[in-house]
Amino acid sequence: MQGLSIPQGLNLLIPEFGLSVMALALMVLDLFFDAKRGKALMALGFVAAGVALGSLGLAYNAPEAYQGLGALWAVDPMALFFKAIILGTTVFVLMLSIDYKPASELRHPGSFTALVLLSAVGMMLLVSATDLLMIFLSLELVSISSFILVGYERRDLKSSEGAIKYFLFGAFSSAIFVYGISFIYGALGTTHLIDIRPLLGEGPALMFLVGCLFLVVGFGFKVSLVPFHFWVPDAYEGAPIPVTTYLSIAPKAAALGVMARVFNHLIPHTQLDMQTLFAVLAVATMTVGNLTAIFQTNVKRLLAYSSIAQAGYMLIGFVTANQLGREGLLLYAFVYVFMNLGVFTVAMAVGNEDGYELEAFDGLCRRNLGLSLLMASFLLSLAGIPPFAGFIGKFSLFAAAVKDGFWWLAVAAVLNSVVSVYYYMKIAYHMFFRNPRTLEPVRTEILVTGTLAVAALGVVVIGLYPEPFIAMAHLSTEFLPVSVPLP
Amino acid sequence: MGILSVITFLPLLGALAILFIPKEQVKAIRATGILAALASLAASLYALTSYDPGSMAMTGLPIQFVEKFSWIPSFNIHYHMGVDGLSFPIVLLTTFLCFLAAVYSIGIKERVKEFYFWYLVLEVGMLGVFCALDMFLFYMFWELTLVPMYFLIGVWGGPKKEFAAIKFFLFTLFGSVFMLLGILALYFQTSPHTFDMLEMMSAAASGAFPREFQIIVFLAFWLGLAVKVPAFPFHTWLPLAHVEAPTPVSVILAGVLLKMGVYGILRISFSILPAGYEWFLPYMAVIAFINIVYGALCAMAQTDMKKMVAYSSINHMGYCLLGMVAVSATGFNGAVLQMINHGLITGALFFLVGVIYDRAHTRDITAFGGLGARVPVYAGLMAMTCFASLGLPGLAGFVSEFLCFLGAFDKWKLFTILSVSGILVTAAFFLRMLQKVFLGPLNEKWKDLPDMDLRELVSVVPLAVLMLAFGIWPRWVLDLMNPTMTVMAKMFPGMFALVR
Repeated sequence: MQGLSIPQGLNLLIPEFGLSVMALALMVLDLFFDAKRGKALMALGFVAAGVALGSLGLAYNAPEAYQGLGALWAVDPMALFFKAIILGTTVFVLMLSIDYKPASELRHPGSFTALVLLSAVGMMLLVSATDLLMIFLSLELVSISSFILVGYERRDLKSSEGAIKYFLFGAFSSAIFVYGISFIYGALGTTHLIDIRPLLGEGPALMFLVGCLFLVVGFGFKVSLVPFHFWVPDAYEGAPIPVTTYLSIAPKAAALGVMARVFNHLIPHTQLDMQTLFAVLAVATMTVGNLTAIFQTNVKRLLAYSSIAQAGYMLIGFVTANQLGREGLLLYAFVYVFMNLGVFTVAMAVGNEDGYELEAFDGLCRRNLGLSLLMASFLLSLAGIPPFAGFIGKFSLFAAAVKDGFWWLAVAAVLNSVVSVYYYMKIAYHMFFRNPRTLEPVRTEILVTGTLAVAALGVVVIGLYPEPFIAMAHLSTEFLPVSVPLP
Repeated sequence: MGILSVITFLPLLGALAILFIPKEQVKAIRATGILAALASLAASLYALTSYDPGSMAMTGLPIQFVEKFSWIPSFNIHYHMGVDGLSFPIVLLTTFLCFLAAVYSIGIKERVKEFYFWYLVLEVGMLGVFCALDMFLFYMFWELTLVPMYFLIGVWGGPKKEFAAIKFFLFTLFGSVFMLLGILALYFQTSPHTFDMLEMMSAAASGAFPREFQIIVFLAFWLGLAVKVPAFPFHTWLPLAHVEAPTPVSVILAGVLLKMGVYGILRISFSILPAGYEWFLPYMAVIAFINIVYGALCAMAQTDMKKMVAYSSINHMGYCLLGMVAVSATGFNGAVLQMINHGLITGALFFLVGVIYDRAHTRDITAFGGLGARVPVYAGLMAMTCFASLGLPGLAGFVSEFLCFLGAFDKWKLFTILSVSGILVTAAFFLRMLQKVFLGPLNEKWKDLPDMDLRELVSVVPLAVLMLAFGIWPRWVLDLMNPTMTVMAKMFPGMFALVR
């Protein structure tokens, strides 16, 4: 490459560019808006994310122009699917942020919005990346903005504690990730993943395998796989709850997306003999997540462990790596957006007034029956009880495991679902069985109500009529390049 | 829309309607709940008029009122409903008991709106289980019963309600997730992959499932179904849940929910996994024997009337199991008739225990005495129901128990003879209860005890009438089921080749 040349396929990243520009503009605008009018900035960010989400429709409509292979990135149906999930989550999280606090208590709403958008850009790049350096850079973009978001409540010690823990773990895992890249580069002389598979030759070199293991650490941190999950409960508890919602959905989905791209497609883990390792990781993640969640008394922490366990289920689709598994992973990730968005939104509506201890939910059914029924359906969906969407997701994941003969994985997963019912129903127990401390009705703001309606609609419609969503997941399993050259 | 969907989803309509009634309007909520249950009952009786028990049984199972639409083509899942002589009588039992218990639920005073909502959702789940002919649909309905039951026990139950509710939920779910894996295994074993029960049955008949495979899958299903039956050693949730649940819910639990297990064993384990069933027969005979004798002995040891009735359910479901190990038309007829009769009799027993508990606030057998003269109507109904339950000839229980023993004796002489002792114990504990509560000198504490009121009579008397009717002329029920049972018993001619 000589002189300055435009990299191939730059036009594929238009949504990312647009959002980055918007984020930077918001940071500048933040200087000129006082707190009272700050909510307008959030609304602006919300609109920007919505427009970006809409622009993905272009890519679906005109695949020849907006999908393809770039220099370090690939925009294919799989990437688009995850980008839609990420942007959808961003839109709703910004909606929640607007109603999270009264305008007078907001601090730098423009920067907050900008950080959310920037981390969304990082995730969008992440799910498209086909080069290890690109992956690393986007991971960092996500991480750094998330660190700040977690610690956004500066005066709150818990928020700072969570941010510090998150940062230390994050920095450590980034270091290991880069170290892994250097191993791979040392072994094969390239960081471009598409070129790697032909170089593997007879069998992968030891150095290359070690590098791959280090990559898993980096990804595992983002997906919050056990044993890289220790930051999760503290960061989730400390962060403002819209940020918690965001962290529990988008980075997880994005990291799973890039894991699927790297280890299911470009350098398949079945070729590296790492399938069993990932299966063990999946079982460990769901088991530790579920068993620890049982003992939590704080809703945020309980949901933090629950989201660890949920990542474990999703990993099943990644482990089996068959067509059904990929579909299951996508479908579950999609469903997971709605149900997790739902629980966190209810938690926010209740917790904003009464705090986030489980007792805040006491007798919720008498204070607001609709809210408690919605919460119950989100929880049951997370637990995988029909007729809610979570069941369909788990069903396709378990089917993938059974199809490939991963019996022990399937048995571990179903037993874990049983365990999870115990703590999900603990919240239901507080809502329905205990007497309320006050009879004052819980009110929900208009945007919160809207988010809840969307989440509930998703959980029920996908649960009862999953066909179009299964078909969508099916169509989204394609990667680019379609075939990676074999050794 | 077919009649089965109407029967199944009418209660759902009622449940949704109830959500829109303000919670202060208790009367409107009750009326809606009862009407929805009544409508479902009426629809099922209407279906009975056009139900044809026999004519199609020459070619296979006489499945009727079939509805089949493609639902999730990606997994080849259909919305497939249909009933035959195995399921239709249970559907009738369900709508009937649900209506009676809905009437009895007028006695529920707290949080009426939520109660009727969950109650009607529960009815949808139960009816769906018996009508579904697609495994996926079956599983959906099966799980749909869990959540309402959890809330019904947990909110309106007795002192240990929370523990009973979660124990019920976890126990049943633990079993049913293995059933889910079994369903998936069957799906991938059939080609083309299908969840359709009838297609699976023909696949089984053509030998698509190897024996080892069948045994493993049978065990997976057994975990799910045995919990519901409940078969020893998975019965421990039952006494707790039955005792803690409010009266109408206990009635539904014992009257309908337990039948889901036995129904599943006949519909799935036997019809789709014959080799697994055959392999399991000796163990099932042992389990039947344990259920009968151990259940009866446990009931004998109770002083709480409700707990006694709960354990007697374990004993009675043992008869069903015994009828099923016979693998003959007689035994199957006995098992299914026993399900119906147990629903009627134990339903009535739970109602009656509830009646006295509402008045006296105790269920301790020793706390009463001489009530026979004080509350004659109650005493008469209670005595009759107990006699029916212990198998007095002329009442319903006798016929089905007799058929179960008759069928089983052919092949399992030892266990049948041993199990007969269970009848003796059953008679003993019921008679002891009758004696302590109704005979002897009147306990002065209860001299003002009022007799049954209209609501309670409406709930119990229809059951008593049917007990008597089916005891004298059991063919009203048997004619509905016999052709199906005959087909089922002949479905796999090679049965017993291996175990004998």
